[in-house]
Amino acid sequence: MNVVQAVKMYITKMTEESGPGMKVILMDKETTSIVSMVFSQSEILQKEVYLFERIDSHAKWDNLKHMKCIVFVRPTSENIALLSRELRCPKYGVYFIYFSNVVSKADIKTLAECDEQETVREVQEVFADYLAVDRHLFSFNIIGCLHGRSWNQQHLQRCSQGLLALLLSLKRRPVIRYEAGSEVSARLADRVRELVRREAVLMDNNIPFNGDVPPPQLLILDRRDDPVTPLLSQWTYQAMVHELLTINNNRVSLAHVPDVHKDFKEVVLSAEQDEFYAKNLYSNFGEIGQTMKSLMDEFQKKAKSHQKVESIADMKNFVETYPLFKKMSGTVTKHITVVGELSSCVARRHLMEVSELEQELVCHSDHGKQQQRLKAMLANESLRAEDVTRLVALYGLRYEKHAGNVLPALVDTLRKRAPDCAALPVLLLEYGGAHARQSDLFGLQDADKITKRLFRGLSGVENIYTQHTPLLKDTLEDLIKGKLRENLYPICGGDDLSAGRRPQDVIVFIVGGATYEESLCVRQINQANPGVRVVLGGTNIHNSTSFLEEVKSAMQGVHRTHTRHIRNI
Amino acid sequence: MAAANDEEILEGFLCPICKADLKSASQLTSHFESLHQEEQDVLKSLKDIFGKAKKVILNADDTQLKETFDRALKFNSQEYYPYEEQTVGVSRSTTDYFKAVRSARLERFATETNKLLIRLDKLVCSMPSDPNLRKQHEQEVVPWLDGTSVKLCPNCAKTFSLTRRKHHCRLCGSILCHDCSVFLDLNVARTIVDPSAPQTSQEHEVNEKNGLRLCEHCYKLVELRKQVQENRNAKTVLVTAYEQMRGLMDQAQPAVAMYEKMCQSLFDGETTYNLSDVNAMRGRIGKLAEGIGLLSKQIAALPVEPNMRQAKVQEHIRQAAAHYIKEELLSLRKLPTEAQIEEVRRERYERAQKQIQLERQRVELEREWRSEAESSGSRSNGATHDDDNPLLEQMNIIRQYIKDARKELRFEEVAILEKNLKELKKEYQLQMLSYKS
Repeated sequence: MNVVQAVKMYITKMTEESGPGMKVILMDKETTSIVSMVFSQSEILQKEVYLFERIDSHAKWDNLKHMKCIVFVRPTSENIALLSRELRCPKYGVYFIYFSNVVSKADIKTLAECDEQETVREVQEVFADYLAVDRHLFSFNIIGCLHGRSWNQQHLQRCSQGLLALLLSLKRRPVIRYEAGSEVSARLADRVRELVRREAVLMDNNIPFNGDVPPPQLLILDRRDDPVTPLLSQWTYQAMVHELLTINNNRVSLAHVPDVHKDFKEVVLSAEQDEFYAKNLYSNFGEIGQTMKSLMDEFQKKAKSHQKVESIADMKNFVETYPLFKKMSGTVTKHITVVGELSSCVARRHLMEVSELEQELVCHSDHGKQQQRLKAMLANESLRAEDVTRLVALYGLRYEKHAGNVLPALVDTLRKRAPDCAALPVLLLEYGGAHARQSDLFGLQDADKITKRLFRGLSGVENIYTQHTPLLKDTLEDLIKGKLRENLYPICGGDDLSAGRRPQDVIVFIVGGATYEESLCVRQINQANPGVRVVLGGTNIHNSTSFLEEVKSAMQGVHRTHTRHIRNI
Repeated sequence: MAAANDEEILEGFLCPICKADLKSASQLTSHFESLHQEEQDVLKSLKDIFGKAKKVILNADDTQLKETFDRALKFNSQEYYPYEEQTVGVSRSTTDYFKAVRSARLERFATETNKLLIRLDKLVCSMPSDPNLRKQHEQEVVPWLDGTSVKLCPNCAKTFSLTRRKHHCRLCGSILCHDCSVFLDLNVARTIVDPSAPQTSQEHEVNEKNGLRLCEHCYKLVELRKQVQENRNAKTVLVTAYEQMRGLMDQAQPAVAMYEKMCQSLFDGETTYNLSDVNAMRGRIGKLAEGIGLLSKQIAALPVEPNMRQAKVQEHIRQAAAHYIKEELLSLRKLPTEAQIEEVRRERYERAQKQIQLERQRVELEREWRSEAESSGSRSNGATHDDDNPLLEQMNIIRQYIKDARKELRFEEVAILEKNLKELKKEYQLQMLSYKS
């Protein structure tokens, strides 16, 4: 269940089926992202693809009849129209058409009628219809999937099609479960089930039925059940880069950094192509600093010894080792730049202090002390307004039902400081407050969890910045042990789980977006449970900024029902 | 070359704190040590807070740089992800349906186009140059529609008059006005009916004299046929050069694999290949790389019209070829030196000797034991130490073959022959032994 590999194999298949010869690949906006997530340009060039074009570009192009054209597009009506136009006046010699999802017969007919020059050799559906972020992580890059607390129809369609594609690409025929308390999860589960039912023949013909292992499970969750995780500061490399610099399709822009080297204005962070990154993606910030320093020391040592290259043999040796040398210095200098920018962010925004209080708020309960520290931070002008807002929001969620709740006063103070941000904590409370959650997010009721917390308190904390574990971890552990309660996570369409309760393959999808912290947690679960394979997906991969956008969109036009006591918003 | 590369490497020595480019690693470290004392402390305290920072690479004083880097940078996915076989996902072909729809539609066109082409052929093949005769000829081939009852142009619906005369399409014979007619160049028409006819590509206005008057419908059909024909025959300089280049790459692939195999065999101390063989192979790969490089440069330098994508294609081909050469052909394993080979071979030989010694001792023991049991054995001594032994003769022949194969760099054959030779040697030895006993 490696989603990156699945997409890669599809693309390789496309380039191979068209046989030898010069090729051009014609894509739309989304498929361009899908391809660029898994292949670098130089890798694609090695597959004889020398030109990348967008089907929706309106530029007047010259004819390249000696080239083979691989078309890889989503089967949308716009794309069908654009492709019909292309086939009427073909610019390339022959066409191999691949749709990233199920395409209707009517659309095929339309295209066939346009192909008067008989240039089309192949028409296929392949199911690479999602962004493979990491081996166990995928996304649809949708921010704002909900509108007024219910699905945006277009996005519901996209997500259900995408999940169908995911199942087909991984060759899994799962039982679909969803969060009972969430209407949007139920809707999506229903839609996916309907699509799977419609493609039953395709599934039956291609996915062997194995009665020996328990069926895979597709679990659909709602972000509203855990609004806390996307709000926290992160300290592992990948998550931190996303939180502070934003990763967009594996790319990070450093253009705003003063004096940045011209090669590093935009850097690509892809575990598939960058071994240093692959190795350190889940290391924490301190460890990376350590690794880099020792590498620099080593480099310098070697550089010194290389200053006296005297004999020809020495020089030859140098040249022989040169590719490694250059490659190494290339990726490491890139990461030094990124880490440098991260550390200056941490210092500038006093994120250590902020993070400490964040973790205190979500992992411990000491209302009086925390409230005082929060007030002090609100008064501290050197902190960024956005960071303070996150703290107030966390407080609001954590102490929503506490007798001494001072949220209205905090919001008042926040408004004086940053009028634009004051509404956010309240909005978040409406979005993911106790009324919207079915799980015990802060572990207040469950006796089991309370003892766990006590134990953690007794044994001491290893790292005060990474105490928090996402709710997803508990959910997944329960699921793998077969203990996830069926009344809280029912099975779509009334199927029963008699075939087996302890699934080996699990696909979790979070409506409202997943986070890199959760991705790390999924990886840990995969490592800790040999034989169990979990893949995580979300409508988007969030950092706090994009998550707040998500919340704004979801709450647009919704009347406040649970926070009416807070006025002046 | 080395110096230039050196500079390129040094380019990126950025200080992580102030991001100054310090040109060299030593400068960077001294800069870092002198100017960012406090920051280092910050970094250190950071690490302390995070607790047990892993001492992964700290004990790397005397080891080779490469090893350190490998350890720090090489990512072994097996460590992180268990191996899982994954096959390409489900796909579904709708090509058959597509083609069925297409051919049903095109069939209608095809018969019509074929009819038009037959007429076109008759028209242009024996066309008289005299205008009157030509008109007569044209009417003989295609019966023209009687125009007396036609008052309006069927295409633009304008009334015919003295200024708007009636005309006929030369292929279908229908009536149309001058504004609605299209002219097909006679030379082009000739190439359509006979693709082997010489192509004349000079641009000139096509009029009634040097062209055929056609209606739009017929023109479209004929034009379509022409394009399909052109596609089939499109082979430019670029395509030829590109195919040559790919051809060389196809040759390089097995050559590199062979080289790796030979290299490995040398390192293992086998005697199948000589160092000179492997060097020759390396030379051949070098030649191929050179050829690929040359062709790709040629492709990149092909003349193109400005602002055309052709230029981008050619540039990308060049890039891909350069990358291919660098990654696949020039990053070959370093060969062992003669001394190293000797070393490995000697070790191997000694090991083999030891083995033989042991074997012999065992045989000795066995024989003693047997002779004690039998007390006497009939000694049939047939020591035929003649040079006419067919095995020896065969071995000599094979040696000659190996020599020839080496000369022509056919190393797959060398390997097979060497194997044969070894077997023969073994057979011969066995034979000798059996004679002795």
